[in-house]
Amino acid sequence: MSKPSIDSQSVLLERVLFSARPLWLIIFALLTVFLGWQASQVRPEASFTKMIPTEHEFIQNYFKYQNDLASLGNVVRIAVETTEGDIFTAKFQETLQQITDEVFFIPGVDRSGLKSIWTPNVRWSEVTEEGFVGGPVIPDNWDASEESLVQLRTNVLRSGEVGNLVANNFKSALIIVPLNEINPDTGEALNYQQFSQQLEERIRNKYQDDTIKIHITGFAKVIGDLIDGANQVGMFFVIAIVITFIMLFWYSRCWRSSFAVLICSFIAVIWQLGIIKLIGSGINPYSMLVPFLVFAIGVSHGVQIINAISNNSVDGASKIDAARLAFRSLYIAGLTALISDAIGFTTLMVINIEVIQELAIAASIGVAVVVLTNLGLLPIAMSYIGVSKQGTDYTQRARTKNHRLLGFFENFTKPKWAYTAIVIGLVGLSWGLYYGQQMKIGDLDAGAPELRPDSRYNLDNQFIVDNYSSSTDIFVVMAETAPSQCIAYDNLELLDRFSWHMENTPGVQDVKSVVYVAKMGSFGLNEGNLKWFSLNRNQYVLNANTARTPPGLVNADCSMAPIIIYLNDHKAETLQTVVAAVEAFNQQYQQDGLELLMAAGNSGIEAATNSVIAAAQTKMTIWVYSVVIALCLLSFRSIRTVTCIILPLMLTTIMSQGLMAVLDIGIKVATLPVIALGVGIGVDYGIYIYAKLKEGLEQGMNLDEGYRFALANTGKAVGFTGLTLAIGVATWIFSPIKFQADMGILLTFMFLWNMLGAMILIPSLARLFANFSRKRNV
Amino acid sequence: MNKAAAHVSAAALTAMLSTSALADITINNNYEVMHEPAMQANKAHQAVLTEIIRTNSRTIAVGDYGLIIYRNSASQPWQQAEVPTSVFFSAVDFANDNLGWAVGHHGVVTATIDGGQTWQRQLDGFQYVELQVQHFTKLVAEFEEQLEQFDGSADEEELLLAELDNAVFLLENAEQALEEGPTKPFLDVHAVSTNVVFVAGAYGSLLRTQDGGSTWQILDERIDNLDGYHLNAVANDAKYVYVAGEAGQIFRSSDLGDSWELMDSPYNGSLFAMHVDQQQQLWVVGLRGNIFVSSDQGESFERIQLEDNVNINAIVDAPQGGVYLVGNAGVVGWVDSERNVTQMTHSSGAALSDIVTDTDGRLIAVGQRGIIEIADFQRAVTAQE
Repeated sequence: MSKPSIDSQSVLLERVLFSARPLWLIIFALLTVFLGWQASQVRPEASFTKMIPTEHEFIQNYFKYQNDLASLGNVVRIAVETTEGDIFTAKFQETLQQITDEVFFIPGVDRSGLKSIWTPNVRWSEVTEEGFVGGPVIPDNWDASEESLVQLRTNVLRSGEVGNLVANNFKSALIIVPLNEINPDTGEALNYQQFSQQLEERIRNKYQDDTIKIHITGFAKVIGDLIDGANQVGMFFVIAIVITFIMLFWYSRCWRSSFAVLICSFIAVIWQLGIIKLIGSGINPYSMLVPFLVFAIGVSHGVQIINAISNNSVDGASKIDAARLAFRSLYIAGLTALISDAIGFTTLMVINIEVIQELAIAASIGVAVVVLTNLGLLPIAMSYIGVSKQGTDYTQRARTKNHRLLGFFENFTKPKWAYTAIVIGLVGLSWGLYYGQQMKIGDLDAGAPELRPDSRYNLDNQFIVDNYSSSTDIFVVMAETAPSQCIAYDNLELLDRFSWHMENTPGVQDVKSVVYVAKMGSFGLNEGNLKWFSLNRNQYVLNANTARTPPGLVNADCSMAPIIIYLNDHKAETLQTVVAAVEAFNQQYQQDGLELLMAAGNSGIEAATNSVIAAAQTKMTIWVYSVVIALCLLSFRSIRTVTCIILPLMLTTIMSQGLMAVLDIGIKVATLPVIALGVGIGVDYGIYIYAKLKEGLEQGMNLDEGYRFALANTGKAVGFTGLTLAIGVATWIFSPIKFQADMGILLTFMFLWNMLGAMILIPSLARLFANFSRKRNV
Repeated sequence: MNKAAAHVSAAALTAMLSTSALADITINNNYEVMHEPAMQANKAHQAVLTEIIRTNSRTIAVGDYGLIIYRNSASQPWQQAEVPTSVFFSAVDFANDNLGWAVGHHGVVTATIDGGQTWQRQLDGFQYVELQVQHFTKLVAEFEEQLEQFDGSADEEELLLAELDNAVFLLENAEQALEEGPTKPFLDVHAVSTNVVFVAGAYGSLLRTQDGGSTWQILDERIDNLDGYHLNAVANDAKYVYVAGEAGQIFRSSDLGDSWELMDSPYNGSLFAMHVDQQQQLWVVGLRGNIFVSSDQGESFERIQLEDNVNINAIVDAPQGGVYLVGNAGVVGWVDSERNVTQMTHSSGAALSDIVTDTDGRLIAVGQRGIIEIADFQRAVTAQE
């Protein structure tokens, strides 16, 4: 190759970059310091409202009554279990009393609502000829004696708290801890993480021993555990960096360039975090994936650069010329790939859930930053430090040696190999299509689906579900009336039928509301005569019967009464059945002044999320593919080329749906973005390979030679990129947060499979099309 | 108004409404629990059920949401009857295998002629209120006329005045109910024969039919219940009809309800159920574990006390002799012919309101948690000890 002056063929971008290298280094350094300072202030957060589709009708209804419903849901349950005998021992009762007292003083606890058999608001009652008699469950003359314990047992049985505050098997007792979302003294919002820590320190660590076991559940605990889990992700990041560095060095055998790539990629992460802090966005357990992705994308593009620089150095170019030539040969492919990533991510914006949108913004920013750091900073830096002697020697040796693995991939332009690969691809496609039909929407595991099924939280939750009459899957319908009409007879009567309608809906365990309170009140106030378990048309009677309504079952001005529907589980079918049942009832019974609005409660919100996700899934897939296809068409201007690049991607998308079904991973907030990320990044491989293949073909090579040329120039780098990206996200598989693990599994699969698809199916398809058109032309 | 039909032309609308084959759902924008047919429900046997009865052909239970369920034998699943109301049923009784009555809240009386598979409304609360107004208007007029023509002693006049006062009070109540709707639940039904049936209810309601339910007659003022105590139970033996209620009140009638005498009560608390056993002994049960039995048609009672101070809600004959009884907090007891009490507590702790024995000797109780079966009472008692 003759060598004209390096400047004569340079492009504008290159001249801008390389004519003022020191200035650029200073600008990059200053920006890094500033953004690093910003990034250091980013803290993981887990905001509930960001995880839900706020525009959905259900959520709008829920927001309308959010304050009224607060006291209903935000409760922590602490089960104190004894492993010896039952709870009616002096030692156990002493412990239970101590724990109740301790909980009372934890900041954030609504003290007036605190309930255990040791709080004075828990009473037994009995009907006598004169009326009600009753008292606190703990006998007035409690002295921990045998008689006191016998009396306590009698009182507990009379109190109706078996299954509520006392386990059905009498081996544990519950403390129900309602929380104040806003501290009434200071006006500050409750810090869930702090609260959760206090529960661990002051309750579990202090009282759990050989005979006493503590189980804690509740929304506050889930959020606390989620943030704790998210903090562990920091460690995964360090692991990912170390593994990546080892791989980089193994690939380049050059300390200098390995460090340069690593540092530039790390700078990209710092910038990305700094910018999201600047634009007022935060980092949540979902968008936490983004730094990993940015780092991995940075490394994979960095590798392409140092690969080229090393090759140029072997050819005898100076440090600066090697860097310039590398930039010149790669910036178009690099830009196309990165722009398609960035635009691919922005398609996630069509989903109206804030965490996904934050993830989309963060990822797009991250990729944009990679353009600057790894296509801009990295070549400049390399123009100063250059590739070490050791590195160029290695490249030289590698060049002369025929790479066995690359040799394997070269086979796929041969018709026999190509058709076999396509048949195997079709088998994979059928597998994906078959199992993909069984793919479910929503969360499939019991308990808190955010955490792993065997996490301590979910084991605690299972314990409470098993031993107490309560379900943790709650769907709330809000009965909206005119002010002060929530317990009007006409409304209650229709709500009673609604309750019965819902109770007979498959998947529903139980229904509770102010109607139940009214009927129980009538039963109780009429001497415990079950024949009075009904509603009365007389409003004074109804008022009396509902006088003891627990807080939360009617709102302050009595214009809304929640109907609480306890479900067997929160599977998508169950939720759909429930929603359909409510809609059917609303269709059939329409009463002036009464609206039955869906939905609150964890299951109600999940129903809304599922419906948004289900609608968004197809929309997003169409969007991301349209964008990627359009970009490929723009840069290659050939339908055949684009087909070669896109078909392997589609195979991966379809197979990953089959994988989700097989692994019981549902489509949810966490896994929906994965499809877009997988396609957006997966297309890079195809772009790099096809760009080189095309270059070869244009130089007059046949398909076999052209692909060998492409593999020799970029094959190693593409293989390396796939592995780096996969490793970056694979560490997530070990996250204590279930959805992060799910994201990790799926992304690892997609990155590896897309890489293999590009290296095997692109040549195979190219062969198929070439043969096909030749036959037609004959 | 039917939203779906809002855009349809008036003529089409009229046609649609008159054919009554309007789409697949009929929209109800004027819900009235008395007139709404009971919903077919797969959890019918788990709802609150109040009474259960066994005829020669089947077992029938009634309860909340207009539920009437039956089965022909223990091996069959419970089936739900067709019932034209959704009110809370509090009682059921049969005159023979085919003819039966179920009564409930809001003044509803329903009847069956096919052994409990389908039911028809004989009376609803609005009709009952009308009936009360007519009846008490007539009664007030009669008393006023009597007073006008009265020439007896001052004591007798005072009595008559008191009765007039009571009638006026009952009339005012009934007139108020015209506005408010029926508020007095019926609490028991008792068929003396295929023609004569009594219904007792809250605030001293007492009705009788002598023609199998075609017409109902109000008897409230015929018993001495000026305080308007609830009447909870009706029973009869060969000679008398009995009514028991709140404040330990027991009444007896020898002329099928035309006139009633107040008996000396052994108790001042509420009495919830009555039963005449095969030896013609009269059993009365009530609050706080109180059980009374009379061998002389209510002239005198012997008291039997249950261990637990819970409400006793029902008594039936036990096939092996004596009676079974059920109460609140899952209590099931057996009083043998020597008056010894054996008792157990069902693990559900549910209030049990009635019980029958099935052909195979098993007990079927109903209550707060629906149907509860106890296959072998003796074994259950032993297991609990």
